[in-house]
Amino acid sequence: MSYSKEKVESILNDGLQRRGFLKGLVACGVLSVLPGGRLLANESLNTKIPYLGKKSYETFRNACPRNCYDTCSIKTFVKDGVMQFIEGATESTFTRGGCCVKGNTYARRVYSPKRIKYPMMQIGGKGSGSWKRISWDEAISHIGDNLLNMKKEDGHLLGAALTKYSGNFGITHYGVEGMFNSIGYTTRFGGTPCWPAGIDAQNFDTGNMWCNDPEEIKDSKYIILWGVNPASNSIHTMKYIYEAKRKGAKVIVIDPLFTETASKANEYFQVKAGSDGLLALAMAKIIVENNLHDKKWLKKNSHGYKEYEKYLKTISVKKAAEVSGLSEELIKEIALGFAKADPATIWIGYGLQRHTNGGAMVRAIDALVALTGNVGKYAGGARYGHLNTWGFNYNAMTNPKPEGSIGYTASGAVMGDVHGAGSGEKVKYSDRYLNINKTADGILTAADPKIKLLWVACKNPMAQDFDRNKLIKAFNTIETIVVADQFFNETTKWADIVLPVTTQFEEYDVNVSYWHYWLSLNEQAIKPLHEAKSDLEIASLLSTYMNKKEKGSCTFPQKYNSKKTTIKEFNNGIYEQFGIKSWKDLRDGPVKAKAVIPFADGKFSTPSGKFEFYSEKAVEFGHTALPEYLEVRKPYDKYRLTTLHSRFSLHSQFQNLDWMEDVHPEPFVYINPEDATFKRIKTGDMVAVFNKQGLLRVKAKVTDNTPVGTFMMYEQWFNNSIYNVNELVDDTSSDMGSFKTGAPGIALQDTYVNVRKI
Amino acid sequence: MNANSERLKTAKDLRDIFLSNNSKELFEAFSSLLEDTNISEIELETDFNYYFVGPDTPIAPPYASIYLDEEDSLMTKTTMQIRDLYEIMGFKNSLKDKVPEDFIGLELDAYYQLLFIEIEKEIPYLKDLRTYFLCEHIDTWIFKFINRVLEHQDKNSNAIILIIKKLDNFFKNELKIKGEIL
Repeated sequence: MSYSKEKVESILNDGLQRRGFLKGLVACGVLSVLPGGRLLANESLNTKIPYLGKKSYETFRNACPRNCYDTCSIKTFVKDGVMQFIEGATESTFTRGGCCVKGNTYARRVYSPKRIKYPMMQIGGKGSGSWKRISWDEAISHIGDNLLNMKKEDGHLLGAALTKYSGNFGITHYGVEGMFNSIGYTTRFGGTPCWPAGIDAQNFDTGNMWCNDPEEIKDSKYIILWGVNPASNSIHTMKYIYEAKRKGAKVIVIDPLFTETASKANEYFQVKAGSDGLLALAMAKIIVENNLHDKKWLKKNSHGYKEYEKYLKTISVKKAAEVSGLSEELIKEIALGFAKADPATIWIGYGLQRHTNGGAMVRAIDALVALTGNVGKYAGGARYGHLNTWGFNYNAMTNPKPEGSIGYTASGAVMGDVHGAGSGEKVKYSDRYLNINKTADGILTAADPKIKLLWVACKNPMAQDFDRNKLIKAFNTIETIVVADQFFNETTKWADIVLPVTTQFEEYDVNVSYWHYWLSLNEQAIKPLHEAKSDLEIASLLSTYMNKKEKGSCTFPQKYNSKKTTIKEFNNGIYEQFGIKSWKDLRDGPVKAKAVIPFADGKFSTPSGKFEFYSEKAVEFGHTALPEYLEVRKPYDKYRLTTLHSRFSLHSQFQNLDWMEDVHPEPFVYINPEDATFKRIKTGDMVAVFNKQGLLRVKAKVTDNTPVGTFMMYEQWFNNSIYNVNELVDDTSSDMGSFKTGAPGIALQDTYVNVRKI
Repeated sequence: MNANSERLKTAKDLRDIFLSNNSKELFEAFSSLLEDTNISEIELETDFNYYFVGPDTPIAPPYASIYLDEEDSLMTKTTMQIRDLYEIMGFKNSLKDKVPEDFIGLELDAYYQLLFIEIEKEIPYLKDLRTYFLCEHIDTWIFKFINRVLEHQDKNSNAIILIIKKLDNFFKNELKIKGEIL
């Protein structure tokens, strides 16, 4: 061997030898003759004796920005500029030092070799897989020219559409909407695929969506977990449920599926999907008949109780038993148990409202909680979610439209350049809104103008939007699709341009939850990998380019500073609510909002100022005034298909990481043994699940966790797999959502399929 | 061209291929490495991106850590060891914390530059470090990387096979002569 391994390693590992070697390196002139490349001669070589002992970690405050109840407060440990690992912040009593299985993979996610590294253009056409690397300048000028040409040709930018949702719920990421605001009136996919029917229901009832602090659950005496599976999807709340249980509370799970949470409960009741509303009404009837309703609370705080009580008389417990699959005795047992406990609470899951009668069912459950006086009570409440701590400035969203921008008028018609000329009236324009839950339909039917450019951010529409085949068809009608993402997925597959975006560890941000009451600062812990840029920096680059080409064409700030952008989100209201003097206080750890029990003061933001059993507002939006029983969508195929979140992924995020693939490598359709026997299917058999929408080939797993007549398939996306449950889910709407979110939700739990063994 | 100059040119061409930022740079480096090919600029780049860059999961991520640390991760212990080695070699990574030091483009960059000062400038001061880098590090992963490409020829890309074979020959030869300057 021409070199001495020991000698080289002693130079590397012995401080004195290292120093001597480096001095020699300088002396012999190596640095001045290195030809150069990406590795440059280090002119400021440190020839002091280096410290080669164990280095301490730098720590940073972070938060998980995924669309999750728990929104963990995180502490990140960095050494030599490299993120080593994360911990749940101990300062938050909710996160309490632990992250979930997904959160614990964050270092893996940031440094995954699968990350999108550079801006790239799919030159072989959508779905071709032929990608060319382009510079940021090329990407931005291509998009910018596209927009400016569109405006020149059409006179407006309504042909440019944005679909953005919850892939990153950091507050500054609303700057993506800000970017679209700043170029003019455009097309937006509005509404929410998550929880709109429930939001409307709670707003009809209480004038708000405002849940009690989940940490109070530890003091609840009777807890109904109704269509929710926190053992899988809100693990931090489970400790409060366990504590309550230890203290003697009764924990009941009502769900069509036997979930992880059901296995932890005192009792599990398997109901037929879509029957929950009738079950709640039957329970209410029993409570009233047993004189266990809270008459004092109802008199003081409710509106329309008499009508509700009268309606309950028409409810048949026998029919409720038939429809729900529970016996009359069991319904009575739950109803009386709930009514006698004080305080009692119900946690209403989001799956429950994803039915054609979802909003009506949430209203029926709200009414049950109010009937027993558990609204406005510590450790009580009809818990669904809240946005009570989200009062930020949304500064990055507030850019004005460029002067002279043309858009939709209130009548929904696109107006031409000369509209209103000479009339003396100022025309009021708006963006064009399409339903985010009918993305494919929206794209295919949008006319005057058609959608020519679609920008996708913080979202994977192919995994989250419905009717996959229709969506592919729709995407193929769009001239330019830009997708900003961290990883390649089924949406980027159909993109023309992909832009690599930062993870939360590579930028500043601020985060709160729609469930708990903690506030976390998210500090930049490491440099962005490869050429990733934050959504907001991309917006700044676009603004710089557009203004250079056409002054005033984009109002988004041209200078980007992640930290300053984040600081601008804070205001005195936030400081007051969280009891801090400055955002800087958050460097010491997350803080919790001052305790408030929702509606404890008896003030509701409904038209009557009270809890409304009878809602005129609901009538205004085409619903019944009372939380009446509404039958669920009729079957259109042999079996019901229900689709859930997996604990190993958040929608399509995380599942592509090697650790997750190790424990959850492939998708299954879960089938009850009785159905499996009928179809002669065994675990491991490849089956075709199909309906009028499409067909999926997938392995079967036979389990009695699913009821007879119902199949279960996780929603998620798997790397290198064509599995996508949206192959089977159509875009039928749920009953509510238009009141507060602008568009109805999606009745994805009312999907029906058939199966055959392949 | 003598054998040393040939080695230097091959190292530089291979480096320039893996450090290329766009089609043009890639094609120029490829054309310098392999004359008389009828592969188009676009075909070369789309195949190159399919195997090594993305945006879809690359067939053979060109980072030592992937083959040495039994982890599907960048910026690992291996990366830090190579970072340290570069420091002693007098290098500063202009892409520090953004592109891992054990990225093949940077490793080829280091190897080429060290070879250059020995062959062209006749300064042997870093020779031991270069051969250590070659024998104790590059040798431990580069052929695993090469094999991964050769095992996944589903794209049937002549260009990629030609590049990989050149890389294979180059390092096999370097190891055979133990990095000595001839």
